[in-house]
Amino acid sequence: MLLRTEKICKYFGGLKAVDEVDFVLKKGQLKSIIGPNGAGKTTLFNLIAGAYLPTKGKVFLKDKDISRFTLNRVSRLGVVKTYQINHIFPTLSVFENIRIAAQVRKTSFNFWRHAASYKEVNELAEQIMTQVDLQEKRNWPASTLSHGERRYLEIGIALATRPEILLLDEPTAGMSCAETNQCADMIKKLNTELGLSIVLVEHDMSVVMSISEEILVMNEGRTLVEGTPREVSDNEEVQRVYLG
Amino acid sequence: MFEIPWNVIAMQFFFGIALGCIFVLLSSGMSIIFGLLDVVNFAHGTFAMLGAYAVFVVISLSGSFVVGLVSAVVIVGIIGMIVEFLFLKPLYGKDPLLPLLLTFGLSVAIPDLIKIIFGLIGKPVNYPEALSGTLMLGSVIIPGYRLFIILFTLVALISLWLFLKRSDLGMIIRASTRDSLMVQTLGINVSRIWTFGFGLGVGLAALAGAIAAPMMSATPDMGVDMTMTAFVVTVVGGLGSLGGAIVGGLLIGLVVAFTAFVAGEYSSVSMYFCMALILLVRPRGLFGEQGRE
Amino acid sequence: MVNDNTNTTKLQELHAPPKPVVVYGTIFVLLFLPLVLSTPLATEILIWAIFGMGFNLLLGYTGVLSFGHAAYFGLGAYSSGLAFRYLDASLPVGIAAGVLAPMLLACFIGALAIRKRGVYFAMISLAFAQMLYFLALSPLKHITRGEDGLTHIPAMAIFSFSLGKPLPLYYFVLVVTGVMLFVTWRILQSPFGKLLQAFRENEERAKACGYNTTMVKFWSLVISAFYAGLAGSLNTVYLGYVPLTTLFWLTSGTMVMMTILGGKGTFLGPLVGVGVFLFLQNTISLITPRWELFVGAIFVAIILLFPGGIMGTLEEKMMAYRMKRASK
Repeated sequence: MLLRTEKICKYFGGLKAVDEVDFVLKKGQLKSIIGPNGAGKTTLFNLIAGAYLPTKGKVFLKDKDISRFTLNRVSRLGVVKTYQINHIFPTLSVFENIRIAAQVRKTSFNFWRHAASYKEVNELAEQIMTQVDLQEKRNWPASTLSHGERRYLEIGIALATRPEILLLDEPTAGMSCAETNQCADMIKKLNTELGLSIVLVEHDMSVVMSISEEILVMNEGRTLVEGTPREVSDNEEVQRVYLG
Repeated sequence: MFEIPWNVIAMQFFFGIALGCIFVLLSSGMSIIFGLLDVVNFAHGTFAMLGAYAVFVVISLSGSFVVGLVSAVVIVGIIGMIVEFLFLKPLYGKDPLLPLLLTFGLSVAIPDLIKIIFGLIGKPVNYPEALSGTLMLGSVIIPGYRLFIILFTLVALISLWLFLKRSDLGMIIRASTRDSLMVQTLGINVSRIWTFGFGLGVGLAALAGAIAAPMMSATPDMGVDMTMTAFVVTVVGGLGSLGGAIVGGLLIGLVVAFTAFVAGEYSSVSMYFCMALILLVRPRGLFGEQGRE
Repeated sequence: MVNDNTNTTKLQELHAPPKPVVVYGTIFVLLFLPLVLSTPLATEILIWAIFGMGFNLLLGYTGVLSFGHAAYFGLGAYSSGLAFRYLDASLPVGIAAGVLAPMLLACFIGALAIRKRGVYFAMISLAFAQMLYFLALSPLKHITRGEDGLTHIPAMAIFSFSLGKPLPLYYFVLVVTGVMLFVTWRILQSPFGKLLQAFRENEERAKACGYNTTMVKFWSLVISAFYAGLAGSLNTVYLGYVPLTTLFWLTSGTMVMMTILGGKGTFLGPLVGVGVFLFLQNTISLITPRWELFVGAIFVAIILLFPGGIMGTLEEKMMAYRMKRASK
């Protein structure tokens, strides 16, 4: 068991955004979280990533309690999130966007050596750029990229920190149909070829059903059903709440 | 240690409260502007200085102190609304530091403009005759004008509170402070509310400047010290909180008055020490909401 | 992803650190500055430029506005001045004192306030600077000489080479400026320098990448205090006394105006801003003592019309031109 939450809760005032959810991710698994709007998917996601402090309950990474860890500490442990709305470094070049993330494990407070002299960091950044198919835009400021390209850069930045678990928040949001399929292929590749464990929050049902190994369905902050794509799509309650 | 008679202490306390009242007026204006527009107004003290000059001009024209006070608020409030409309509106939604920088530019330019119009030397504003005497409360001597400051501030704050709590416009202002987008959806022109809010906040600063004028006379460079005081009170009381502005203002007033009495040379430094202390003990300020700082 | 152009590799990042030739070229040009301007003005420009380079690291590259940088500049000036006057310190020792004290102060202010959001930090830093100003004004009068400023500081010498004359002093300050330009250039290209810019662009994301963003701000402040202290102590050497105004709020404000005028977040911005500002100030004050009115008005106009300042606007224009050509 790589990551699990234990009866995790997050309340915003009187609103129980996430209420006693047990979430389990095994090593190498690609697991999706789905549910209608306001079901608490993104909140659960942010609790795992360390962006929110849980109201109650715990998060464990390989049996280490990380419930109280902040975003940057969780990220250093290899659990890295992407953003639903693009969070890139707009005036920096595509390469620099990825390189910044790539240097996190190597160096951060050296203020004398030339950044270009860190060979492994640059190689990693180049490699990631190829993975997310942005090498041709290498020197463009990130703000000049198209929407689809930005979504890829978003994933690229997260990948460059060399995570063990990648948390993807609606990676295909706003993409065209063709782009979406391409993106889904890429995510599957990251999972099978690089062996990354992935948690996916996604709206596009076809993507979720085609690439997930397991799905957690949430409704009103609670777990509704958990199972394989097949089990989930056959489940009556899911159809009632979600599809119906 | 030698004994200080209690009536002297009581008098210092009273001085401190009166000084604090001026700080309260100043900082509550700053607080309203910050709450509504998310703008830290660096020119706040500059507007207070304009208020002091306005009261000087109107008194020399009309001879009435009360007319002077009222028109200072109105005149400076209108100037403030023009400033907001011309200079601040184009900056909303951009880098949040820009309005601070812009108002800083104003605080550099405006005092020089005043120097050109009124000269380098300050203009004295006379105490209104009816308030120039003293009052004896037992063995405590109370200058009439300080008592007036306290009572007047009390009236001003209560009217401000009633205005924000009861009137339609006040309610809209409070709602916009919480969530301006929501108010916009209700079909209210938030842009105009902002302009008015800035005028209101700056008007309170002008009132502080005008009411302080008889004690320190109107000088072109008085603004910066008042801005600093407003900053310190805001940090002590908590950013964007009216309650914080009131408690913080009175506290700083007392601190300044007592240090001036006990160790005169430290009187200007004391409020900064007080601020540093509060930052150490309670980083968000006395009344600040967590996370807002 | 369709990509039909081949020119992209020629594109430069916006606000990228300059090529070495810019650094060396600038130093070369500065060699001749006393030919164009009066030597004291040229010296003053260099001193403020050092101050500005450090301030720009904090405001321009990290995105943190300190409205109280006079605290570091003035503390640097006073620390060296006191060391020179009372302890007969040599030049290097005096400068070392003028650099270390502000850095310690930055550590203290940083620890207290650097976590605060932007405008709040600006207010607090200003208040701390005022605290120092009033301390030097009256409670510490017996050592700082209060309003008169710290006088009777002996003229300095380096390797028995007197800095009492304007021209040798200029070239001494130029050597320091050259070194600091080079240092700034190295910092900007280092992993830390890159991190500063990433932080300015998107703090949240930098955090999500695993960076401790509070420490980024903190170190940026301390480094910036180093520059300010160095400039302050050079100012003491240059003037031969320490005016109380080195701690005054308008010194901080002037720095803010210079940096914005030149272009925050650009390599040459501070130097250009300082040069233009001091030149304007000198010229206008010949005509009228009310130069603050003009300077303030110009500053307001820049904020409204060209928030990128001189160099920032130039760079944006060039970038737009290159983008247009590249996408043809």
